Amino acid sequence: MKIDVTHLDDLALGSVFLATGGGGDPHVPLLIAEQVLAKLGPVDVIAPEDLADDAFVVTIGGVGAPTVSLELLPSLDDAARTLDAFEEQVGRKVDAVASFEIGGGNSLLPLVAAAGKGVPVIDGDGMGRALPEAQMMSYAIAGVKPTPAVAYDYEGNVTSFSTKSTEVYERHIRSLAMVSGGMITTAEHPMTGRELKDSVIPGTLTFSIELGRTLRENRGSSDDMLAPLQALFENSIYGECRNLFTGKVTDKATRITGGYDVGEATIESFDGTGPTLNISIKNEYLLAKLDGKVIASVPDLIVIVDYETSTPINAERLRYGQRVAVFAVGCPEFYRSERSLKVVGPRCFGFDLDYVPLEEL
Amino acid sequence: MRIGIDVGGTHTDAVILNGDDVIAATKALTSADVVSGITNALDTLLNDGAVKQSQIETVMIGTTQFTNAIIERRELAPVAAVRICLPSGRGLPPMVDWPEDIATAIGRQHYLLKGGYLYDGWPVADMDDAEVDAMIADLVVSGVKNIAIASAFSPMNADPEKYVAKKILRAIPDAKVTLSHNFGRLGLMERENAAILNTTLLPFAEKVISSFLKALTNRGLTCPVYISQNDGTLMSADFVSAYPALTFASGPTNSLRGAYKLTGLKDAIVVDIGGTTSDIGVLQGGFPRESNTVIEIGGVRTNFRMPDILAIGLGGGSVVSDDGRVIGPKSVGHRLVDEGLVFGGNTLTTTDIIVASGVADIGDSSKVAHLEQSVVENTLARMHQMLDQNIEMMKPGGKAMPVILVGGGSVLVTGDLQAASKIYRPENAGVANAIGAAIAQIGGESERLMSYREVPRDEAIAKVTQVATERAVKAGADFATIRTVDIEETTVPYMDESTTRVRVKVIGEIA
Repeated sequence: MKIDVTHLDDLALGSVFLATGGGGDPHVPLLIAEQVLAKLGPVDVIAPEDLADDAFVVTIGGVGAPTVSLELLPSLDDAARTLDAFEEQVGRKVDAVASFEIGGGNSLLPLVAAAGKGVPVIDGDGMGRALPEAQMMSYAIAGVKPTPAVAYDYEGNVTSFSTKSTEVYERHIRSLAMVSGGMITTAEHPMTGRELKDSVIPGTLTFSIELGRTLRENRGSSDDMLAPLQALFENSIYGECRNLFTGKVTDKATRITGGYDVGEATIESFDGTGPTLNISIKNEYLLAKLDGKVIASVPDLIVIVDYETSTPINAERLRYGQRVAVFAVGCPEFYRSERSLKVVGPRCFGFDLDYVPLEEL
Repeated sequence: MRIGIDVGGTHTDAVILNGDDVIAATKALTSADVVSGITNALDTLLNDGAVKQSQIETVMIGTTQFTNAIIERRELAPVAAVRICLPSGRGLPPMVDWPEDIATAIGRQHYLLKGGYLYDGWPVADMDDAEVDAMIADLVVSGVKNIAIASAFSPMNADPEKYVAKKILRAIPDAKVTLSHNFGRLGLMERENAAILNTTLLPFAEKVISSFLKALTNRGLTCPVYISQNDGTLMSADFVSAYPALTFASGPTNSLRGAYKLTGLKDAIVVDIGGTTSDIGVLQGGFPRESNTVIEIGGVRTNFRMPDILAIGLGGGSVVSDDGRVIGPKSVGHRLVDEGLVFGGNTLTTTDIIVASGVADIGDSSKVAHLEQSVVENTLARMHQMLDQNIEMMKPGGKAMPVILVGGGSVLVTGDLQAASKIYRPENAGVANAIGAAIAQIGGESERLMSYREVPRDEAIAKVTQVATERAVKAGADFATIRTVDIEETTVPYMDESTTRVRVKVIGEIA
């Protein structure tokens, strides 16, 4: 399969759904991807299983704070130059690139890099959704080291990393992003085709396009959206898809704590009767409680959409009065293992409870 | 005494206010030349001789002329856009995501230059005089006189914009230049878009403002003239000649402010029901609640301060289905007087239903006598449901709130609204916009990203307030009356926890 300009709107829309409230606005990455693919043509997509075991793969994306870097516009060739710098650093050509995170703008950057370098992009990513930290990536959980890695800034400065642990790497790239205008592009988590097959969340790139297409073609009330979404998710790595609740946002409050946008949203039925749904937010929507009882939790996906159009609503944009539907989607199997839940389970976000899969709630 | 005038696309409304009292009000048609519409309205107000020209201290004008020009793609002058941001942003030129028709109307002439700043004050690059001079040489050859300049983080450091503007004006003395930092808010592409939209309107603005002034002097009014802007505050007429884009959305704002004045309710929902839509807005402390999302004007993303308005397809001309269960969003609009049943036409509209229900006497009621009671009831129920649901979405809290109905279509509301604690139908609601213009004050706003670790909070807020105050005074406010109406502090995610975006808004009386 090839991805061309005509797929990008759907990819961006699907990626906002999978971002579960976080991931940032894909508007600028979308503009960049549209221009690059219009100029350089479509990008080859390669399924993980079709990759040779000894192929050399690297992940690529933007790291930083979108709210700070909003005056620092990216350039069309940042992603490809990042790969150049990486290849020079490791003394080897990469055979394919992969995405960190399918949720939000980082779903698009690997395509820009792949087009610029003439290499294929992997159909898959390291989260299957959006999550806030590097150690939460499936690559890291599976034991792939983040370094050797390089970061590239707006001016073409290249910084290379060789760190002892993923946590330290995460601290270092965040610090670098801060002194580089708030946003850098990184090529990291280099791995072999074999390692990728064991750690990637497969199929998410093409799935996100399908998801965006489903949301676009069925645009309308979330009551009518449920069936097409279920049909799509059932036959994917995600599985279960439920409409948890439909109603009106009656409260939403968040504040910044420890680098996260933390808070809660309350949703009540349209007529104000019946139970109340509470959503806990930490950049992403992480926990859904119906009258105090947990009915979905991270790493399963909790998505809030506009009731009338089924357009996903970012946590920053969620506010009092909006009429919404809340969907929950089972996370990929990878994130349900004990090893994964140690890093992405509810406790890792400060909630005093264990993960229970959506289907069992 | 003050005169408030609202120059809309269809009607020109005018009122005379003596303190809080509406002494006279009139509605006239907007003329193609704008001038005669205003003079007609003034004639009606002043001709009976009760109020003399010399008693009028100020005239305030609200107008949708500039918004309409952008939306209809007319009166747009060619613009050259200069962005100072390189080496960042290569390949993302100005107007890259604009609708084709307006980009073509304005021309896609643009230049990217080295320079600008990062959020922490570090230069993106040093400016290159040779590069600036080459750009100016090209500008001179192209003959474009309207130039928009934007640089990265100019709300925090506007030197690059000012430097390039100075050089351009030296080479092209009659150039009209807009600097993006005057549109305050952070977000380079959106601020640049605002500057370009402003620039393309500059020649039209001169024409419109001189028409306004001519109409007033024609009728012997030589007092100061102010124009209302989108946040419900005023600018001097001179200022608007340079910043016409600041009038965008002043219509809804004036309508909300007028509703506040007419009822004295500081916190309320205002529903302005027109021919095609019902525009629902929120009064907070007597001012419109502002939208916090990206605002598109004529399809262009901008960072303008706009009242948060929810427009739904329900108006006096909305088309009703045969069973009365579906209303709008199609409307016969101003053709209601030809196409509505009560006017002898063939289209069932909401106005026909209201006449059939017996609540209003408009047109010929015998033309709707055949409508079945169930159809009338269905339509009435559906209209109230539409309003209730959407008011509910706009309400700032769970409790029922006062709802103020304005606009010609407010007859559509015949029963109670669940979302309303009480419904108000103020007298003179038809000229709420003109009243809103007449009571406006002068405001100023500024925004900055600061680290409270480096600059203590009090000092940071004082700094931003000072810039906002300077802006208000420059726009015509009396320094002694200036007060802060809003301080917004937003901590920035992922960054040093003390990094905060501070926005301050001040307001003062006319100097």
